[in-house]
Amino acid sequence: MILSGYEALFFWIFALAAIFAALLTVMARNAVHSALFLISSLVSVAALFVLAGAEFIAGVQILVYVGGVMVLFLFVIMLVNVGAEEHGREEIFNKQRQVTASLIFCFLLVAGLLYAVNQGYIGLKKDRPLPEAPVGETVADQAHPASATGTSKITKDTERVGGSLYRYASLPFEIASVLLLVAIIGSVMLARTLRQEASADDVDPELLQEEIARDPEIAKLEPQIE
Amino acid sequence: MINSSIATLAFLFQEVETTRAAQTWHAVTHPDLSKFLVIGALLFIIGVAGVLTRRNIIVIFMSIELILNAANLNFVAFSRYLQDTGSVNALAGQIFTVFVIVVAAAEAAIGLGIVIALYRNKETIWVDEIDLLKW
Repeated sequence: MILSGYEALFFWIFALAAIFAALLTVMARNAVHSALFLISSLVSVAALFVLAGAEFIAGVQILVYVGGVMVLFLFVIMLVNVGAEEHGREEIFNKQRQVTASLIFCFLLVAGLLYAVNQGYIGLKKDRPLPEAPVGETVADQAHPASATGTSKITKDTERVGGSLYRYASLPFEIASVLLLVAIIGSVMLARTLRQEASADDVDPELLQEEIARDPEIAKLEPQIE
Repeated sequence: MINSSIATLAFLFQEVETTRAAQTWHAVTHPDLSKFLVIGALLFIIGVAGVLTRRNIIVIFMSIELILNAANLNFVAFSRYLQDTGSVNALAGQIFTVFVIVVAAAEAAIGLGIVIALYRNKETIWVDEIDLLKW
């Protein structure tokens, strides 16, 4: 894969945007700002997906991450609102020693990763060389059929991903849906209050007696047996 | 004699310099797989640094999302590379990315449920104050 021309320009723009937004995510004092920077980082990475020819993944990234997960994050930030960090009263990072140790670790990790990428890519180019691209550039684009309006080209990416998702990965697909079901049930279970558990008659009787001794209001919440 | 050899050396050096600069410029204007991998590595490291240094548990979760997203970028880049080399199962990377996104969504839902339960009991979101399992 070799990008060129405008693709290369957009690649660098979105790559820098993704990295700076990620840095600001980690360094922002306010958690809401962190979430917004994370959204811009995710959108930039989605643009990189488009440049790498994965339009379907880019769409899924925007819909699921930005539309779903980040909205969930923002809701939770507003539920557990902490004013202390916004006004500079609380330290947002760990103690000095821990931060230093982890930054040294991160530096070693990034050096190792970049070395591995460099060495591995040389080997990969020898092992699986790219076919020589014609001089006319943008090879992939010309193969796509025109859309109905004739102003843009349609890629086959979504069709092919969908096809192989059901053809080669149907069992993992089903397992993923079971995982999502478990996650739904688990998060509902985790987020319930004791009152909600008591009113659903879903709490350990001994614990319920203890809690009633502490707060008599809970006894009224128990479902009446008719 | 010495003069001419120095001139030759200088010429050679200059030649090497220009070709190297030209190569670098060509690498910048034609980003390939390795550039995607470098961006992925940097995003990954930023995520790791966030997990290790921040005190706010919600920001730690966001850093985990960054790490997963960096892995996704690598998967997609390799998928494109394998498509270009004409590999048989080149779309495996994109399919794997879908599953990573599914797992990330499930992880965020469960993790934030735990955060809410924890906040209800401990009234804090600073990880260094949540030391129930520490003795």
